[in-house]
Amino acid sequence: MSSTMLSIRKIRSSIFWAILIGYGIVTIYPFFWLIISAFKTNEDFYSRPFGLPMNWQWENFTRAWESAKLGTAFMNSLIVSLGSLAVTLFIAALASFVLARFQFRMKGMIMAFFVVGMLIPIHSTLVPLFILMKQIKLLNTYWALILPYTAFALPTAIFVLSAYLMSIPKDIEEASFIDGTGVWGLFLKVILPMSLPALSTVTILSFLHSWNDFSFALVFISKTSLKTLPLGIANFADGYQTDYGLTLAGMTISVIPTVIMYLIFQEQVMKGMTAGAVKG
Amino acid sequence: MNIRSHRNFIVFALLPALLIYALFVFVPVIWSAYYGFFNWSGIGEAKFIGVKNYVEILQDPVFWRSLKNNFIFVLAAVFGQVPIALVLAVLLHKSNMIQRFLRSAIFLPMVLSTVVIGMIWQYIYHPQIGILNFLLESLGLESWKLQWLSDNKIAIYSLLPPLIWSFVGLYLIIFISALQNIPGEVHDAAKIDGASGLRKLVSISIPMIWGTIQVAIILCISGSLKSFDLVYIMTKGGPAHATELLATYMYNSTFTSYRYGFGSAISTTIVVISLLLIGTSQWLTSRRGKK
Repeated sequence: MSSTMLSIRKIRSSIFWAILIGYGIVTIYPFFWLIISAFKTNEDFYSRPFGLPMNWQWENFTRAWESAKLGTAFMNSLIVSLGSLAVTLFIAALASFVLARFQFRMKGMIMAFFVVGMLIPIHSTLVPLFILMKQIKLLNTYWALILPYTAFALPTAIFVLSAYLMSIPKDIEEASFIDGTGVWGLFLKVILPMSLPALSTVTILSFLHSWNDFSFALVFISKTSLKTLPLGIANFADGYQTDYGLTLAGMTISVIPTVIMYLIFQEQVMKGMTAGAVKG
Repeated sequence: MNIRSHRNFIVFALLPALLIYALFVFVPVIWSAYYGFFNWSGIGEAKFIGVKNYVEILQDPVFWRSLKNNFIFVLAAVFGQVPIALVLAVLLHKSNMIQRFLRSAIFLPMVLSTVVIGMIWQYIYHPQIGILNFLLESLGLESWKLQWLSDNKIAIYSLLPPLIWSFVGLYLIIFISALQNIPGEVHDAAKIDGASGLRKLVSISIPMIWGTIQVAIILCISGSLKSFDLVYIMTKGGPAHATELLATYMYNSTFTSYRYGFGSAISTTIVVISLLLIGTSQWLTSRRGKK
């Protein structure tokens, strides 16, 4: 009896695995297709959409880089992403430090105020932000992206950081006060280094968010020299729609940094994605 | 720590975060409610017109179309992404090689820009060069070939696979970490009682992670209401408003027709609708959880 049951079980589990692996292939295929198609000539792209490239067209990448000015777009994306990342990390760490380690009256309210921000649909702020940016003359500057990216990264950042900081034992600050360190010393020399895991989670999440953003850039930036990578890629597709290898090479270039980052920091990315949701 | 000795520090430390957040997230939401009462083209005088914009929105068939499409997105997310992710999480929550690989593969779209996701799927759906129609043809299913994005009856449904594809990974990871938090003894006890896999899922795993499922549903709703980019890239709301969402409706009214007041009124409507939806879903799921 046990042997037939065992073999039924075996068949069942292999069907399970077949379905799972099938699902895995289906999810990864569009991505795989993007990369191999980026190496194709147009004829190759038409005639053998599923095949590997006949000749690997490496020059698609250099042509895409030059003709669509991806270098400038790359730099712009880097500047706004790193800029908002630096601001976010510093002010979120300061605020979380205070919210997690100090007792004061408005604490609960301020925390709630930040958390509500996670539920506000970004796009509902586009029109008023556009008007605001226009009035304070920030349209078509890096700040037009750095400030909103920071603002929208703050709720998650403060949520993740303060949850982490609350788990650090209380003796830490007592010890450092006895040593004669002030609050700033405590923050810069003790708390910041101790919260590195949470800070790196926040780093990855905010970087991904600002690197990939399309809608803010679309509305606040119209000057070609300031366009970020997602804008560059989107425009690029309009202009060169019929040169498929070129467009796909441009798309591939734009995803390389985040994919590399993902492959290196995979565990951290996944932890970061869940930190907020599970505890919330 | 003592409040009096550090009062200045507390104020100083909170101020930058509060200011930036209030100025660029909160104030705009309030402002758009205010601008919603004006007729304004972006330049020149704004004219106060009371609730006219809001009345016009409610009478505009495009608004109702957008709202319906947004609902289709929300339903696809809640009843597509959540169950798929839940089943995958149960199957993938242990950590052998294949499971880790599959998890990473399913999560990968999350790190891609929506622009790239939209463009990849545009190519997949392309009527002449798209691999979907090519696949159907090579399988001998010529009659199934369709104009996936330009037929106004099916375009909105064509947008659902990319939507589900790009977000299942997020919920998968959330559910996996919730499942890993269930203490091992619970499963051992179930095994002794002779509970089978499916039984264990329905009567142990799901109730134990119900809180997480609730959070996932909220994320699904607010996430689907944020799906402007995908639609903007793939169809721009067309053909003939067939794939219009509230966000593209707002964008088109404001930045294509230059009606800032009207666009602001739509923005406010979006905030109200999403808060209502999230409130309702909270109420529904917490009632079910208590049963």
